[in-house]
Order: sequence, then C-alpha cells, then structure tokens
Amino acid sequence: MNRIEDLKHKIAKAEAELLRLKEDLAQAESEGQVHVNGGAKDSTWKWPLPATDYERYSRQMVIPGVGTKGQLRLKAASVLIVGAGGLGCPAAAYIAGAGVGTLGIVDDDTVETSNLHRQIAHASSRVGMSKVESAITYLKEYHQAHWFPVPPHRALHHHSLLTRSPLLPLHIITFLHVEQPQYLLHPLTATSLNPTVTYHAHNTRLTPENAESIVSKYDLVLDCTDHPAIRYLVSDICVLLRKPLVSASALKTDGQLMVLNYPASAVGDESGGPCYRCVFPRPPPPESVVSCGEGGILGPVVGVMGVLQALEAIKVVTSGAVDPSPPATPVPASSKPSMLLFSGTAAPPFRSFSMRPRKKGCVACSADATLTLEGLRTGAFDYAQFCGVAAPLAILRPDERISAAECSRRLLAAARGVTSSGEDPSGTTTSAGTPVLLDVREREHFDICSIEGAVNVPIATFLRETATPKVDGDQPLEQRAPAWLPSNVSDDSPIYVVCRVGNDSQLATRRLKEMGLHRNGTRFIGDIRGGMRAWKAEVDSTLPFT
Amino acid sequence: MNTVPKPPSGHFNVLYFASASSLTSKQHEALPAPLPLGQLFGALEERYPGMKSKILDSCLVTVNLEYVDVPPPGDDSGAVIKEGDEVAIIPPVSSG
Repeated sequence: MNRIEDLKHKIAKAEAELLRLKEDLAQAESEGQVHVNGGAKDSTWKWPLPATDYERYSRQMVIPGVGTKGQLRLKAASVLIVGAGGLGCPAAAYIAGAGVGTLGIVDDDTVETSNLHRQIAHASSRVGMSKVESAITYLKEYHQAHWFPVPPHRALHHHSLLTRSPLLPLHIITFLHVEQPQYLLHPLTATSLNPTVTYHAHNTRLTPENAESIVSKYDLVLDCTDHPAIRYLVSDICVLLRKPLVSASALKTDGQLMVLNYPASAVGDESGGPCYRCVFPRPPPPESVVSCGEGGILGPVVGVMGVLQALEAIKVVTSGAVDPSPPATPVPASSKPSMLLFSGTAAPPFRSFSMRPRKKGCVACSADATLTLEGLRTGAFDYAQFCGVAAPLAILRPDERISAAECSRRLLAAARGVTSSGEDPSGTTTSAGTPVLLDVREREHFDICSIEGAVNVPIATFLRETATPKVDGDQPLEQRAPAWLPSNVSDDSPIYVVCRVGNDSQLATRRLKEMGLHRNGTRFIGDIRGGMRAWKAEVDSTLPFT
Repeated sequence: MNTVPKPPSGHFNVLYFASASSLTSKQHEALPAPLPLGQLFGALEERYPGMKSKILDSCLVTVNLEYVDVPPPGDDSGAVIKEGDEVAIIPPVSSG
C-alpha cells in the first residue's frame, strides 16, 4: 500500500471514530437538555422562549426592534432562498443563525470548484453534490465523512430505515423530503450552526409551473439568482402570492440590493411596494447579460450583498410585516422603496437611490396587471422568450472564419518564413506578410493566458475607437490606421481576430473590413471560430482556463 | 472611482454603474447643462454609439438620487437636468 492510500485509510478510520464520538456527544447533550432546558416539560418555566433560545439569541434580542417579540417572529417565520450561490450562501448562514423557524433553499445546480472562492457554504469535498444539499450540509455542519452518496435504487431503502429510527430528530426527516434523495445525512445536530432551524431542500429549478407550490409555503423570499429570466419569475410569483422580496445581485465589484413588493399589498393596490418589473420593465438585451463566469466576481462583493439581504430579511420579519397574528403591523416608514448600490472600488462604496411606488401600468402589480397565477401555471408567460436568448452570432461568412488549428498552422508557417498555403481564401500563393493576431478579450483574460505574439485591444475599447465618426470633417475611417497595427506590416499581412468564444471576434472582424483594412481583398481578415476555447481544444490544451 | 468631483460650471455629472461603466470605460463624467431629460439618451448615444439599445433602454435613471421616468426622444416637456445635478445610469445586474 503506498503512502497516499495508507493516509487515506488512516483518515477514514479517524473520521469514523470522530463520528462515533460526536454521536455520543449529541446523544448526551440531548439527554442533558431535558434537565437544563426547562422546555414544555418543565412547568416552572414561565418565559415565552426556551432557555436555550435566550442563551443563543441574547446578543440580538437586546437590539431595539428585535426583542422577545422579534425573536418569536423569527422563530415563527419561514424564509425561502432562491439560489444557493454567492448570495444565497451567506444569506442562508445569517438567517439560520438569527433563528428563523424554517429555511427553504431552491436550486438545481451542482457545486463546482470555481464556485468555492465565493460560495462559502460549499466545500472542495462536495464538488459535484447538489448546491442545495451542500448548503444544508454546511448549515448543519456535517463533515464530508457524514454524508455519503446513495445509488438511486438504494435510496428508498435508506430513507425508510432512517425515518423509522426513533432517535432521529424531526428536522432530519424533513430534510429527507427532497424530490430525489441522492445523499443521506447523518443525524448529528449538536455541532450545527443552529439546530433549531428546519431546512427544506428544493432540488429543482424554480419554474412557472412549480413556483406557486414552492413559494406559497414561505412568508418571505430572497432572490439570490443569476439570470434576468428567473428574476422576473421570482418577482412575479411574489407579487401574485403577496410575499415581500429581498432582491440582490452582484457582478465584478458591483452589487445591487432592493426590497421589493414591500408592503406586499394586493395587485392593483397603489400602497404596495414596487416590483422588479416596476424598476426594470424591460430586460437587458440577452447579448449584454454577463455571467460571473465571463465578467468575474470578487467573493466579498457578492458576500456583502448576501449578508445585506439577510439583514433586510431579519428587518422585515422582526417588524411584524409577515406576522399573521393580529394586530396587523404597518410597514415601517423607514422602508421607503430604495435601491442600494455597492461599488467595491468606489468612494463612497455605498449609494442609496430612492424609487417610486408601484409603476402605473405595470403588467405584474398595477391595476392594469395582466399577470395571473392561472396564466403562470399554464405557461402563458414565457420568461425565456421575454428575456430573449443570445443566439449564436453569425455575422461572418464561413470563408471569413478559420479554425483554431488552421490559424495555428498559418502562424507557425509564417514564423518559419514558409509560403502561405493555397488554402488561403484570398487565393494568393505569394508570400503573405507577417500575420497580426488581434485578441479582443478583456485585459485581465488576456493577461492570464494568450497566444504568443497576440496584441490585446478589449472589444469595448476597440468598438469605441473605431466607431464611425458622426462629426463632419473628421478623417474618413480607413485613413486612420489603428494604433495596435504595427506601422511596418505590409498591406497583405493577414489579420486574425480572436476572443473568448468567437462572438466579439466577429464584430471586430466586420468592423476592420468596414474600415477598408482588407485592402479590397489583398489582406485576409478573419476570426478564429470558437475563440480561445477552441484554441484550448484544438491547439494548446495547457491554457489554464478560457 | 474616487469621490466624484463637482462638475465644472455649466455641467452636470453622469455616474455610470455596472455595464454602463464597462461600455463607457468611465465611472463618471461631466456633460453640458442644462439638458432636457428627454435628450439625455440621445446625447449619450452620440458619445457611445450602441449604448441606447445595449444599456439605456433597459436601465434605471435617477437625478439627484431620485428615480425619474425618461420621456421619449423629442418630448421635452419633462424635467430638465440642471447645472450641478447628478444623473445616474443604473443597468440591472442579474448575476449573483
């Protein structure tokens, strides 16, 4: 047995022993609590919360606005987090810590290594696990050794075994009510962040069809999602079911936070708070929607937004706005609708903008609303279509594009001073000049990895600098040679354009031709189909990422 | 962005957030005032061709931290951006 196997074996053995000790501790503690707790069984206990709650929540209960009443409201409240990512992870941790009674999490995604720098509830050991189950595992603080994958055909067997166990605490059984139990968690609670919370796992994507049945079980919703289409859906279902919505988002170093539909008045009631459609009636064009994968995201930026969501959720709940017991509590005047913007690189980093109440004519929440639960259920609202889908860009003809492999061959041939091959679409077989490789990705992408000899002009800069001048008297475009084009290249030097996946490179190629740089066909200008992603697949598998 | 400097005399400040900042490669700039609100998008589109369809048509606009409705182009009946005002272009951020 080699050293690695030996260590793995030792660790597994130690973990099994640790697990057994923790079980014994949990058992001892739960037996001990009957005596110190003074819960329902102790008739001398005369306070509204159990003794352990006073101990656990004392630091927040003395805050004005929380108190015993606020803590009781938290205990009675159920909160739904849609999205277990960079926002949902910290939001869930603080909401669970604060003692909310029920916490539901919806997501259909699985944990990836690239999530871990910001999605703090997940772990390297849980890559590949469903995000919802990983997040709940974190909240219950199970170590890796305490969950184990169960083959589908055995899941039912384990499930029935566990639910029959008389020692199993109630919330574990609740957790197992997942659509498709793939992992079973060990019933160990004494080490968790907050053992009083009941967790509901919704291992699914929120859809118009299931939104009503999921959201209706909760008092308050947190939008921690990552795409416009689902943001409109979350907002719509909250309006229809009259749930306040704490919405946040983050990209790069910026974040946005809003409390929407608060107060959650009936549709058509102008006293209600604005919904997402009131603020953003028109979705951004799909090609302008940037994901964290493309645009990047700094962990603390999305973290601060998720933590702020938890704060807003606690404020909504402790104020009594979702407390069903009379008398009805008015929404505090301080909660006038506003949008908080965070810029991690700005001074000041926070700015608050006031918003209007519900928008006249809003299709979701105004008196003219056309949105209904029935319509949602029957698919009358196509969110994907409303937000549009970025179609694969095809503005260049096939002969204006080359494969990564072919481009690599041409660059190598040129470097060796070999005559360009007859495959050149221009048909020339004469020696072409030194090729120019233009990379239009963002500077940061370029700096991480690039093709040798490439020059970098980010697409936004490129398009701005080459824009058609509107003012008369400016030099015609074709006479202004771009600064990145070496002055000593010949008129027949080909220009190859590359970007991340092959969209921006087409825009840039088209623009270069409009500028007349192809010299009426003397020079080949084309882009690399599939961009750097294709380059990694076809030419250089060592590119660290694209 | 460091603290946004006061706009020079006869100007107002525009703050660009999120994708508006990426497209303009600026976090703020000063534009000549006064400017009818209905002409704001036209003035920005002229500076940044393509900005209207990519950003402005789907963004939130505030003047002095208050939400405003931008009237359609040509409709100058709405508010006028005055010298020293602070306009913010706030596109939706969707990811998280």
